[in-house]
Amino acid sequence: METALVLSTIARALAFSTPLLWAALGEIVAERSGVVNLGVEGMMILGALTGFIVAQSSGDPWLGLVAAAATGAAAALLHAFFAVILRANQYVSGLALTIFGLGLSGLIGRGWVGRPLRNAMEYVSLPFLVDIPVVGPVLFDHQYALTWWGLIVAVALWFVLQHTRIGLIVRTVGENPAAADAAGVPVLRVRIAAVVFGGVMAGIAGGFLSLAYRPSWGQGMTNGLGWIALAMAIFALWDPLRAIFAALLFGAFFTLSFSLQDRFPPQLLTMMPYLFTILALTLTSLRKGDRSFGAPEALGEPYARGER
Amino acid sequence: MIGRYKLERRGHAGPALVWGVSLAAVIVAMLLTGALFALFGVAPLAAFATLVDRTILDARGLSEVVRRAIPLMLAGVGLTLAFKARFWNIGAEGQLLIGAVAASGVALFSGLSGPLLAPAMFAAGFAAGALWGLGPALLKVRLGVNEIITTLMLNYVAIYLVRWLINGPWKGSSLSGFAYSDRFDPAAQLPTIGTTRLHWPTLTLAILAAILVAWLLARTRFGFEVRMMGESPEAARYAGVDFFRTTLALVLVSAGAAGLAGVGEVAGIHHRLVDPGSLSVGYGYTAIIVALLARKNPLGALVTALFLGWIAASGDVMQVALRLPSQITGVTQGLVLLCIIGSEPFLRYRLTRVPAAAGPTGLAPGGEAARGGETS
Amino acid sequence: MRTILLALLSLLVASSATAQDDPLKVAFIYVGPVGDYGFSYAHDLGRQALQEHFGDQIETVYVESVPEPEVEPFIDQLVADGADVIFGTSFGFGDGILAAAQRYPDVIFGWGTGIARAPNVLTYMADFYQVYYLNGLIAGALSTSDTLGYVAAFPIPEVKRHIDGFALGAREVNPDAEVQVRWLYSWFDPAGAKEATEALMAAGADVLAFTEDTPTVIQTAAERGHPSFSHYASMVEFSPETVVSGQLVHWDTIYIDIVEKVLDGTYTSTNLEDVDYFWLLEHGAVELGAEPGVPVAPAFIDDLEAVVLDHPEFGEIDVYDLVLRRNAQMTEGREVFDPFAGPLVDRNGNEVYAEGYLPTIDDLVGLEFAVPGVVGPWDNEPE
Repeated sequence: METALVLSTIARALAFSTPLLWAALGEIVAERSGVVNLGVEGMMILGALTGFIVAQSSGDPWLGLVAAAATGAAAALLHAFFAVILRANQYVSGLALTIFGLGLSGLIGRGWVGRPLRNAMEYVSLPFLVDIPVVGPVLFDHQYALTWWGLIVAVALWFVLQHTRIGLIVRTVGENPAAADAAGVPVLRVRIAAVVFGGVMAGIAGGFLSLAYRPSWGQGMTNGLGWIALAMAIFALWDPLRAIFAALLFGAFFTLSFSLQDRFPPQLLTMMPYLFTILALTLTSLRKGDRSFGAPEALGEPYARGER
Repeated sequence: MIGRYKLERRGHAGPALVWGVSLAAVIVAMLLTGALFALFGVAPLAAFATLVDRTILDARGLSEVVRRAIPLMLAGVGLTLAFKARFWNIGAEGQLLIGAVAASGVALFSGLSGPLLAPAMFAAGFAAGALWGLGPALLKVRLGVNEIITTLMLNYVAIYLVRWLINGPWKGSSLSGFAYSDRFDPAAQLPTIGTTRLHWPTLTLAILAAILVAWLLARTRFGFEVRMMGESPEAARYAGVDFFRTTLALVLVSAGAAGLAGVGEVAGIHHRLVDPGSLSVGYGYTAIIVALLARKNPLGALVTALFLGWIAASGDVMQVALRLPSQITGVTQGLVLLCIIGSEPFLRYRLTRVPAAAGPTGLAPGGEAARGGETS
Repeated sequence: MRTILLALLSLLVASSATAQDDPLKVAFIYVGPVGDYGFSYAHDLGRQALQEHFGDQIETVYVESVPEPEVEPFIDQLVADGADVIFGTSFGFGDGILAAAQRYPDVIFGWGTGIARAPNVLTYMADFYQVYYLNGLIAGALSTSDTLGYVAAFPIPEVKRHIDGFALGAREVNPDAEVQVRWLYSWFDPAGAKEATEALMAAGADVLAFTEDTPTVIQTAAERGHPSFSHYASMVEFSPETVVSGQLVHWDTIYIDIVEKVLDGTYTSTNLEDVDYFWLLEHGAVELGAEPGVPVAPAFIDDLEAVVLDHPEFGEIDVYDLVLRRNAQMTEGREVFDPFAGPLVDRNGNEVYAEGYLPTIDDLVGLEFAVPGVVGPWDNEPE
């Protein structure tokens, strides 16, 4: 009986973690380049709305996903303009976008509430994996394509960040922008690109919600997932592979808060991931010598040539 | 650089400029809001006239504006202190909730009654809020852990803690099973002005807090150290400022102030512990806007808190009298924030003409050793 | 002299004419957005029907997404705009309504799902427990795993009544049926509803019901082909093949009754202290079905007719017939049949209602126990 619980928890964790993973991966890239984006929630919900509108009107959920990604990118461009070009306070800029995004999406979305998406994204079944005894039917049958794509993107991002020149550039811009600048790297442009990438990912995360997970539109349907993704990016110590683990952990706690309801008060279980994040940050700070655990040095600081 | 002009870092932005630019930002935000009204078929000028009529010229309406400003004032003042030292306390929301929890605990279970009860509640709320900020403060000074994340995470912990309490151990026996605590003893209910909901003891506390913090910052060694930590950490280190103690002290005050805001809400408005979404309609986050709009000036925070309280109160009028959708308030708040951010460059930089000889290398002459991104 | 008299007369006529022409201003305060497709949406449908019914005699307005502690300033605004009757549709509005009612003694207030009244405050409620009982009959017949799932919002008496009603119905058809409950602690939580449904299905539930403000449970259950029951508003289109029935509310019946009595003077702002509506099937305030006029989706009728019982009251009867019979009985009145009528024992073995005892409305309003067959956490359960 317990194996069934473990397997179904993993399966549900995979599903629930999908939007978290996508959004967190985007945030990781942005923060690796030195820019904090507190606007993830706003970008997610705007992505969810436009994705739904386009998919509902066109009948094609994947087209909706493209629209969601584009919306996320547009919102991120605004954040990049304020935070990177105008060098305003990054935290405030992101926060403003979230507040604005939530309100705007509610406003525009009024006409689209209450109808199911007529053509939602379907479940996929992974061909050989699903035949694995015991594990196969539970884990590999009933998931969305975006779940698996998210995992692939995470691994790809890890590879790019760690082992390619582009990754090195992004990381240097985040660690030591002055040195990067001196080496001829267009710091501002790299940061803008990283932030926009983050927006695309957040948009996709939002699109997943309204096109697959819960195919419809409702005001505030992201329900704080963007903030969780933010926490996750840090909990994962800015590493895409750890982000997978972090996302699954958050997802597992969430689904366990329902399946273990007769044994634990659900609120205490739902609290856990947030406490875990603080724990993770504390533990890594304790290992001061190990550079690979730290936040990008220049995180949160706008860069201007010639200024300290 | 744009053609023959370049952006040069300003030395220091005088108060006149600061207020002028802030005011301009607010005006631009209002203009954009007016445009939004027009989009919904509501004549902007008439709309603003109605807003002013109902929220400022009407006694009851004005009381609502002030009432909403009270928690923003308390939390906002606390945040000005924290932000001055560049301790980014994003956790005011959680600290507010914890203060409410402590106050509710005292009201429901301490056995105290009479005139001792309310002060005890405020003391407990302050202490609880302060404690909630203690963790992130310690983690930052001792281990360098990013306080934005730790304070943000504790917001969620606080939310779930309140939910657990009102659904579980503290669920009231008198409300046919609904998720609220029992009603407080009348001694725990703060007096209000007339029949309005303006709980003036908390308002008084807020004003006193602002004055206290302003005095601390301007006239004490502690305040001087706080400001130095914020403006120039290296100089502060040289000068032997005890980062540990100073940070701890300022965070305790900042978080405690937010806790007081929470006490005000349960003791002044709800008279019981209610669910987090009703207890705080995002006060902790709005307080961030309050503090930043006031350029981290505690007395200024009183004014900006009133302004944001006015926006919230106007939201009601907009829905009822102007028949605008309920989401307008959030959009307006976002616009105000965005305009504030957009106005920042005007404070930090000025356009100067480049003399013909200088080449476009973009290196600013003699930039001060200042951190990017802040003013005062 | 004559001209003056004539002028005065015409003035009198004119003023009395306008007094009669002044439509009654009725305002509605919703706790959620009208587009929530659930609770507030249903109230708004009631408002629209009300407006249509009375035409020019009344003028309705509404405000939505009002946080519970903010209801008073909204009431102030509505009264400033001339509201004569104000309906607050959420339990949490109570404090604000009662306080405002004291300040505006000439305005009539209605506290939806409320529990306390005043000279100018009446309470009203449309309850589903009978309909959930009927849903339970259907669920018990359709389930092959003997496990039913229920995604519930808060452990308050209203929701407990629903779950108990559902379980009583299920057990009447299938004595082995079990109702697994999962709590969301929220009225609106789409992600939570989805995960709770998945958890229930993993625990074996193959028919699902819920009390939550989104159609998520229906969509999630449909992914595995499991039947479910629509809640509050017609949610059929979210899964036409798997929604078998549900609960529908007709707030307009109550609103029309109240406004009629206001217009003809039966209700004034001083005599509402004892006016409490707890309306059920017999008043037409609630209805069995996922869409009006269709108690059971046609695709499922055969399945229900295939289950034949040896019923203590009706003898040999198939479930579809049973559902219709019980519906008719309860529409006649609670005394004819009520699922909670004694003898009733809770799941811990305590006798809650003795033989022959028909629980009063007050009993039901304060219901806290769980009936046999209900499995899962149950806050505030009597020992």
